[in-house]
Amino acid sequence: MNESRMNVKNAANSGSEGFDSNAETFGSKWKDRLLNSSLYIILGVLIVGVVAAEPSFLSFSNLGRIMAQASTRGILALGVAGMIVYTGTDLSAGRILGCCAAISASLLQSVTYASRMYPGITQPLPLIVPLLLSILVGMLFCSLNAFGFAILRMHPFIISLGTQLIAYGSLCLYIDSQSGGAQPLASLDPRYISIVNGSFDIGFMRLPYLVIYLFLCAAVMWVIWNRTTLGKNMFAIGGNSEAAAVSGVNVTRNIFGVYLVAGVLYGIAAFLEAGRVQSVTTATGLNYDLDAISGCVIGGVSFTGGVGTIPGVLMGVIILQVINYSLYYLGVNAYLQYIIKGLIIILAVAIDVRKYIARK
Amino acid sequence: MKIRRVQFMCLIAILSLVFSFIPLSPVSAAQPNIGVLIYRYDDTYISTVRNALSAALSGKASVTMQDGKGDQATQNDQLDVMIERKMDGLIVNMVDAQAAAGVVAKIRAAGIPVVFFNREPDLNVLKSYEKACFVGTNAADAGKMQGDIIKALWTGHPEYDLNKDGKFQYVLFKGEPDNPEAIARSEWSVRQAVAGGVTLEQIGQTFVCNWDTALAQQAMESALAANEGKIELVIANNDSMAMGAIAALSSVGSNLEGGDRHIPVIGVDATDQAVDAINRGIMTATVKQDGEAMGQAVSAIILNMIAGKPLLEGTALQFDDSGVAVRIPYSPYRGKE
Repeated sequence: MNESRMNVKNAANSGSEGFDSNAETFGSKWKDRLLNSSLYIILGVLIVGVVAAEPSFLSFSNLGRIMAQASTRGILALGVAGMIVYTGTDLSAGRILGCCAAISASLLQSVTYASRMYPGITQPLPLIVPLLLSILVGMLFCSLNAFGFAILRMHPFIISLGTQLIAYGSLCLYIDSQSGGAQPLASLDPRYISIVNGSFDIGFMRLPYLVIYLFLCAAVMWVIWNRTTLGKNMFAIGGNSEAAAVSGVNVTRNIFGVYLVAGVLYGIAAFLEAGRVQSVTTATGLNYDLDAISGCVIGGVSFTGGVGTIPGVLMGVIILQVINYSLYYLGVNAYLQYIIKGLIIILAVAIDVRKYIARK
Repeated sequence: MKIRRVQFMCLIAILSLVFSFIPLSPVSAAQPNIGVLIYRYDDTYISTVRNALSAALSGKASVTMQDGKGDQATQNDQLDVMIERKMDGLIVNMVDAQAAAGVVAKIRAAGIPVVFFNREPDLNVLKSYEKACFVGTNAADAGKMQGDIIKALWTGHPEYDLNKDGKFQYVLFKGEPDNPEAIARSEWSVRQAVAGGVTLEQIGQTFVCNWDTALAQQAMESALAANEGKIELVIANNDSMAMGAIAALSSVGSNLEGGDRHIPVIGVDATDQAVDAINRGIMTATVKQDGEAMGQAVSAIILNMIAGKPLLEGTALQFDDSGVAVRIPYSPYRGKE
């Protein structure tokens, strides 16, 4: 888990620890361990706090629900994380997800629904077709972002702000192009709903498919980040892009690679989200980018670049969803929820950044 | 080292502080627990219903209310929690009425009685679960009442026809593009006026302003600049947008309190702000959605459902033709009598 943090910056600083005295080394090891597991401690404290307030919170069905709710945003966050490693960000992820979700949903409306978007589709399509189209559209938008970042040298904040508007406009046009005007895309194919929302029982608990999709995506992303040149170069560029370029990394190609992988993830997340909510409107995906970014940041993906892990991102997204879910569960006043959420995010990140400061 | 320990203690202190502030919903054995899902807390009209609902249920049930923040995905998450907490009854104001099939499926599996209000699920979806019903209005009625008001303004008031061409030139402000209420109000206000013998002519495109005052103000400002002196009437799907149009009109010296130039502005909802504007003479009329009556009806029905009584017992309400929906009537408001 630590190897991906071994970037140019940290490698340069690793020598300084030798100056510590023996006693302090022992103390700092313990401290390091504590800091390294700070995310898990935060999650633990949160859960203990909620259970103390409401003992019924501790149940497998709650666990399954939290994970299922975190799944689509988690997949989105896995894509955004790579861009944050580059010291960038992606404000367009949510709206891109909206666009891709609209495409998935429109092609998978049940063929008996009279006012479906494509009355020409009279036989149910194989599920893979809309999934692939959704991924394709996700990759298209992401390559626009990559083009702005890598070729036009724009800050990712700006280029993704533009892409966000383009994606939103396209989504509105697409939804409005139905024969009945701007109707939500609903009445989806039952096969689609069951493949997304289904679950199977493993003895003591019900495991939603969504959770499995999330972990599959995370496993693939872990391999990409830690075992491929694409991932290793990504960290080198994020740590210090000039140094990486000098040492022979093709920065442009790497950026396009990482963005296209993100596009694939957006497409998958969108396909699942449309099936999960079972209705796509012009509001679908609004602010999902911010959720994904906060998940990444809580999970220790640093905005200063070059730092982050896949398990961290997963933890971040799950912590965020635990906060959401438990605040609903406790029936906390809606406006107070924002304040508590804000406080917890600030706290979690404040503690998590300690471990990088400690190393410098 | 010491600093670390201090920081860790701070974390624990702050977290425990945060959790001690969390006001728990009182769970009482005697009173039924009712979960309420609202589409958006900061919607003016829904706030009226929300307050009426809380007032009507206080003392009779323990209520947990959640804010869907205008996002169906959020609302689905909240519904999961309500079901998990085994509520005795649910009151749901859908964010997106088209997503009701999934919502009803979840509630049916849990066997909890549910009253939908304001945003109407498809009739077949509603009928698919015997413990579900709907309280709402007839969306077309609000539009029709606006149409009747337009007709009343036009007949016998030649002064409103500014350019004396025998046509009433209007601009239309629509809520959200895909909202059924917005679609019905936009369509029927014009249809009813035309059926009443008014010749209407639309200026520009319909402004889709998402029920929002600021957006409507912007749109109205540019419409006024582009069509100077041509706009004779403003029709808005709700009062918030009507207020935006009035703000824009006032910046060009029209619709001022005590002023002599007035372009009629018609809204829907009868919010406090709009009623005040009508009483001060800067707005013309609105159509009242009776939030109080809506809140009381919803509360009476859910309590009857939980108690296993006939749904409408003890109320003056009636089901419409569908047998599962109750309609709260609108009423026009044109100023203090």
